[in-house]
Amino acid sequence: MTLLEVKGLVAGYGSGPDILRGIDLTLEAGQIQCIIGPNGAGKSTLLKVICGILKPRDGEVIFEGESITRLRPDQVLKKGICFVPQERSLFPHMTVGENLRMGGYALKNARETRKRIKEIYRQFPTLKQKRWQAANQLSGGQQQMLAMGRAMVLSPKIVLLDEPSLGLAPLIVEHIFEIVRQFKENGITVLMVEQNAHKGLEFADWGLVLDLGKNVFDGPADTILADPRIQELYLGTRRVQEGI
Amino acid sequence: MITDFLNGEYVHEVQILIFSLTLGGVYALMASGLTLVFGVMRIVNLAHPAFIFIAAYISYYAFTELNLDPMESILINVPLMFIFGVIVYRVFLASGADQPRYTEKTVLLTFALALMIEGVLGYLFTGANRSTTPTYTTEVFFTGEAQYLVPKAQLYALLMSLVLIIFTWSFLQFTRMGYAIRATMQNRAAAQTVGVNVKWVSTFSFGMGTALAGAAGALMSFLFSFFPNTHWEWVALLLSLIVLGGMGSLVGAVVGAFLLAGTAGLVSDAYGPSWSPLTFYAALFLILLIRPQGLFGKKLEMT
Repeated sequence: MTLLEVKGLVAGYGSGPDILRGIDLTLEAGQIQCIIGPNGAGKSTLLKVICGILKPRDGEVIFEGESITRLRPDQVLKKGICFVPQERSLFPHMTVGENLRMGGYALKNARETRKRIKEIYRQFPTLKQKRWQAANQLSGGQQQMLAMGRAMVLSPKIVLLDEPSLGLAPLIVEHIFEIVRQFKENGITVLMVEQNAHKGLEFADWGLVLDLGKNVFDGPADTILADPRIQELYLGTRRVQEGI
Repeated sequence: MITDFLNGEYVHEVQILIFSLTLGGVYALMASGLTLVFGVMRIVNLAHPAFIFIAAYISYYAFTELNLDPMESILINVPLMFIFGVIVYRVFLASGADQPRYTEKTVLLTFALALMIEGVLGYLFTGANRSTTPTYTTEVFFTGEAQYLVPKAQLYALLMSLVLIIFTWSFLQFTRMGYAIRATMQNRAAAQTVGVNVKWVSTFSFGMGTALAGAAGALMSFLFSFFPNTHWEWVALLLSLIVLGGMGSLVGAVVGAFLLAGTAGLVSDAYGPSWSPLTFYAALFLILLIRPQGLFGKKLEMT
């Protein structure tokens, strides 16, 4: 079943040039889809448009057959699309517990929020252990874990992850992608952007390659990983192997 | 030290501190709205004292026409000023809130707003000095062995200010709206991603800051005399309070208010009243040099 559809999306910042220049995307329910592409391809911009932070200049975002193009971010969230931005997405002077509570803000139901936070603590004992600490005292990996845990409190239909592995040590990156898989196991569809293309595709079902604001290729993640042209252009392996 | 105070060694100084610290509460209440509005929206509201003056005039007319005690007129000022704040925010300040140079823009905008309010107040109420005169403004308590003099008006204003500040603090700390406001203060973009309607939170916070100015205006109406263009004297005073305490911090505003009120009182006693405003400016310069984020301020985390 198609959960989310993006058609001919054009967007940019302020009066600047178009960053997205007609993007199409289809997200199936239950999938982990990974968007890759070089810097400036418009990956993060695409997520911002989908979650309503940035208004597109043209094109449409359709969620469960209904256009959500013109909705405010809090309205998009209520539909069931939760965005986890790149870095600094926490409330630094609130405790871990308060951050999770803010995750349930849109539920407007304190008891249900507490119940779900308990479930998050069960899945992430580290967060439970640190529940009284301010978010800015956590390590980078723990902060990312908290940001993703906070998204789970809402149990959204789709979670949008913007470079979840950015700036983290390799061992922790592995752990973060395990959490991405946990989203899927909890029945949450994942659309993520990854600079670490290899790792991202390894954990994904479907891949989408963006370049210069357009989608150049999409297909099953393992096909993309194996495709020599894409490897050469966007994954950089061939060049490394040949020592160029 | 404490026993010296009790034995009457520092009777004069203690008396000065009683006079000045009982004003500290009102300073804190005046500054709390300013710091809240800066914390949530990064608006430096130079018109905040002008808002306080509008409220003081409402209390003045409630007192003279309706025979309403200024403390009671807080109940009128708060809702009226809340609505006024919401309208001002929507009309003048709401647009461009997410642009990088917003704070600079608000300094100019609110400066103009203060000028406009001053003009309107001058036109409506003339330049005459006003103040409300409920009976307790001329009454005093005597306390302690040294028979310290405590002006009733200042004591009442102090208690009312503390009640209102504690109420504000609890609201921010424990209610759903309070959570939303603090979240928006700490990380506007993230607040948006968890479903906080930051536009509404901003509007509400500005209304709340203006409502606090409304309450402060009622208290000011019997503590100080006022006429339309003296609101400028309060701008530097209030700004130095919140810079000292840490911009955006409610606790900081309270501590800053009492610290500066006490210091200004002692300075004015030792060197003459004309030196007391200097205390505020000196504090402003010093804190900016030594600890720019203020006593309780958190380093701004820009997104």
